[in-house]
Amino acid sequence: MHMADALLSPTVGVGMCAISAASIGYSVYKMNKEDVSEKKLPLMAVSGAFVFAAQMINFTIPATGSSGHIGGGILLAALLGQYPSLLTLAAVLIIQCLFFADGGLLALGANIFNMGVIPCLIIYPLLFKPLLKKGFTKKNVLIASVLSCVVGLQLGAFGVVLETLFSGITSLPFQTFVMLMQPIHLAIGFVEGLITSVVLMYVHSAAPQIVESGMNHSNIQVSIKKVVAVLAVCAILIGGGLSLYASSFPDGLEWSIEKVTGSTEVESQEALHESMETIQESTSFMPDYDFKEGEGTGTSVAGLVGGAMTCALAGLAGAIIYFAKKKSKEGA
Amino acid sequence: MLEIQEVTVTYPDGTKAVDNFSLQIPDGEHLALIGANGAGKSSLILSLVGVIESKGKIQVDDIVLTPKTISQIRTKIGIVFQNPDDQLFLPTIYDDIAFGPRNLGIDEETIKHRVLDRLELLGISHLKNKSALKMSGGEKRMAAMATILAMKPSVMVLDEPTAFLDPKARRKLINILKSLPHTMLIATHDLTFAKEVCPNCVIMKEGKVFAKGKSENLLYDEKLMDEGGVEAIGV
Amino acid sequence: MLDIRSKLSDFYSLEQLAAKQTYLHKLHPIAKIIVTLVYIVCVVSFPRYNIHSLMPYIFYPLFVMAFADIPFSMILKRAMIALPFCLFAGISNILFDTGIYRIGTLSIGIGWISCIAILIRSLLSVCAILILVAITPFSYLMDGFRQLHTPNVLVLLFEMTYRYIAVLVEEASTMLTSYRLRYPGAKWPVIQDFGPFIGQLFIRSYQRAQRVYAAMQCRLYALGNKKPISLVWKKEDTIFVVVLTLLCVVFRMVDLTVLIGGMLC
Repeated sequence: MHMADALLSPTVGVGMCAISAASIGYSVYKMNKEDVSEKKLPLMAVSGAFVFAAQMINFTIPATGSSGHIGGGILLAALLGQYPSLLTLAAVLIIQCLFFADGGLLALGANIFNMGVIPCLIIYPLLFKPLLKKGFTKKNVLIASVLSCVVGLQLGAFGVVLETLFSGITSLPFQTFVMLMQPIHLAIGFVEGLITSVVLMYVHSAAPQIVESGMNHSNIQVSIKKVVAVLAVCAILIGGGLSLYASSFPDGLEWSIEKVTGSTEVESQEALHESMETIQESTSFMPDYDFKEGEGTGTSVAGLVGGAMTCALAGLAGAIIYFAKKKSKEGA
Repeated sequence: MLEIQEVTVTYPDGTKAVDNFSLQIPDGEHLALIGANGAGKSSLILSLVGVIESKGKIQVDDIVLTPKTISQIRTKIGIVFQNPDDQLFLPTIYDDIAFGPRNLGIDEETIKHRVLDRLELLGISHLKNKSALKMSGGEKRMAAMATILAMKPSVMVLDEPTAFLDPKARRKLINILKSLPHTMLIATHDLTFAKEVCPNCVIMKEGKVFAKGKSENLLYDEKLMDEGGVEAIGV
Repeated sequence: MLDIRSKLSDFYSLEQLAAKQTYLHKLHPIAKIIVTLVYIVCVVSFPRYNIHSLMPYIFYPLFVMAFADIPFSMILKRAMIALPFCLFAGISNILFDTGIYRIGTLSIGIGWISCIAILIRSLLSVCAILILVAITPFSYLMDGFRQLHTPNVLVLLFEMTYRYIAVLVEEASTMLTSYRLRYPGAKWPVIQDFGPFIGQLFIRSYQRAQRVYAAMQCRLYALGNKKPISLVWKKEDTIFVVVLTLLCVVFRMVDLTVLIGGMLC
C-alpha cells in the first residue's frame, strides 16, 4: 500500500503532507500535555523497530500456499495507545521511505495518512476501543481486531484510490480501481485482523500489564461530539481532496471516463471541470502550458531527438566522471 | 564510599527482590557481587540510582539518595548494563558518550575533550563516529563503559561485564578495570574474573547478604558457594 | 534466516556509503533535503504524456552518483524494488489510455507513452531519495531535522528506531532459526503459531524498551535537553541550493530538449 512519488501530483502530495504533519503535531502536543513523551519514547522507538522486524517475517496460510506479513497499525495502537502508535508508525514509514525506497518522499504524507492516521487516530478510538469496552475476552478481541483491521484497510485502500485518481497520473477508471483495491484489501484486512487478535491474546496472557497499560493510557471517552468532529474532518478532507482534484488534474479522469463508459456522463463532468478551471489556474504549482503539445508534430519530433540527445549526454558525462575518479584513485 | 543500608525492594506482587541488604564499599575498592539468577542483583543495582523504588538508605560520599538528590546520585554512580545494546541507543558512539554530559548541561567543547579522552583511555578512538550496529561484543562493552566514564562517576556498578565477550576482549576488560581508580561494585557469574579484579566479594542469596569475605577464600569454598547457589572455582 | 539478515545488511549498506568524505557528503543536510524535494516536485509535476522533457533530469542522479562514488548498480537495484506498483499503474494506462500519439508518420498508443513516463518519473524520484541518504550520514540528517526545530521527541524517535532495527531483526532472525529447526521444512511460521511468535517478539521488545529507558534515566535523560547543533551553513550550501533549484525549475519551464532537437533537425 506504499504509494510512490511518481503516482502523486505535487498538489495532492503536499496537501497530504500537511494533513499528516498536523496529525503528528497534534499527537506530539497531546503526549506532551499528558506528560508521557519522555517515558514512552524508548518503548515507541523499540516498537518501531519491532514493526520492522515483524514485517520481515511472513506467515503461511496452510493449504493455500500463500504468505504475507502484517502491517501492524491496529496492533500497535492497541499496545501503545493512539498517539504513540501514530508517531511510531510515522517513524517506520519515514525510515522505509529513506532506506528502502518503499514509498516516496513527497508521498510520505499520503502514506502516513493511509497507514498511520487512519488506523491509529480514527479506527482505534472510534471502533476498536468501544468494541473492547465490555472486557478483554477472546471473542471481543477477535471481533474488534478483525472489524478494525478490515475497516481500517478499506479506508486506507480507498485513500490510495482517491489520492491516485486526484493526482491524475493513472488512467485507471475510478470503478475499476476501486474494484481492484477494495476486495484485495478486504482479504488482507481479515487476515491482519486475525493475526492482530492472536498476537494481542498472546501478549495479554503472557504479560497482561503491557496490554492494560496500553489500553488505559489514552483514556478517551467517545462522545457524540468527537464522532461529529471526526466526521466533519473527514468531510473537509474529502472536500479539500475534491478541490485538489480539480486543481491538479486538468482532464485525465473525465477523459478516461469518456473512453471507458462512452460520453454519457461527460457533459456534467465538463461543467464541473470548467468551473474548477479558474481555481486550477490560481492554485496549481505550475501551469500545464505544454499539455497539448503532442498535437504539433514539429515540436514533438524535436523533443524526441533532443530528449534522446540529452539522455545520451547525461550518461556519457556521468560515465566520464565515474571513470576519471576511478582512474585518479588508482593513480593515487 | 558507597553505603547501602537496609535496602529493601518489593515487587508489586509482594515478593522481596532485595531484602534488608546492607553493604559498604570503601573508596577505590573493587567488590564483587555474586549470586545465582534471581538472587536480586539487578534489582539492587537499579535501586542504587532510584530507577527502582526501594526502602532504606543509599549514600555516596556525602550525598543520600532522595527524590531531590536523584540526579546528583545518578552522576555519582555510573551503571554499566549487562547488555551494551541497551545502553548505546544513538546513531554514533560519540553521541552516546556525549548523551550524559549533555544532560548535565556541560558545554560542547568540554564534552568533546571528555569524549575523546574516554575513547582513548579505553582504546576505542577509531570507533568515534561508528554506530554500535557493526561493532563486536568487546567494542560495545568498551563503548558502554565510556558512556559511563564520561559522567565522571565516583562509583561504577557493572552488571555481568564479561557477558558477550571472547577471551581476548575479556582479558582487555580485566586489565582496564584493574587500572581504573573508581570504587566498583561488579555483579558477575564469572568467578575467575571476580577473583582477578576484586579482592573482596559478597554472595547474595534471596535478596540478602549470604556471605562476605576475601575472594581468594570465599570463591574456593565449595560448601558455602553451593549453598549460595553458585559453583565454586575448581582447584 | 539468511534472507532476513541480508535485508538488514542492504539496509545499512547505504549508511556505509554515507560515511565517505566527498565534496557532496560535506554539504549541509538541509541543503540536500531542499534540493531533493525540489527535484522530486519538478519531476513528478510533468504532464503525463511528456517523456522527452524529463531527460535533463537524468543529469542529477548520474552526476551525483559519479561524484559521490556511489555504485550505480546498488541504487538501481534498490530503485527497482519500488517499481512494481508504478508498473501496475503504468500498465493500466496502456489498457485505458487508448488515444494515439503521432510523431511525423509514426503512431504510438498514448497509454504506452504515459506508462513509460510514469516509470521514468518513479525511477528518477526514487533515485533522488536513495542518493540523498547515500550522501548524508544518518546522524547528520537528524541534526538537520533538529536545526529545523523538529520536536526532540520525534528526532530521538527516528534515531532510536533506526538503531534498534538491527537489534530486533537479529532477535527475530534467531527466533525464526529456532522455529525452523523444530519444524523442518517450514520456511515461515504457520498462521496459528504467528500469534505467539510475534507476541513473543513484542514482549521482548517491551522488556528491552524498559531496560533502555532505565539506562537513559541513569544518564539523566530529559526530553528538554536537546543536543546542540554545530552544523554551519556555508557558502557552498547556498550555491548548491540556488544552482540546483534554478536548474530544476528552468528545465521544468523551458524545454531544453526541444531546443537541442530544434537545432539538430
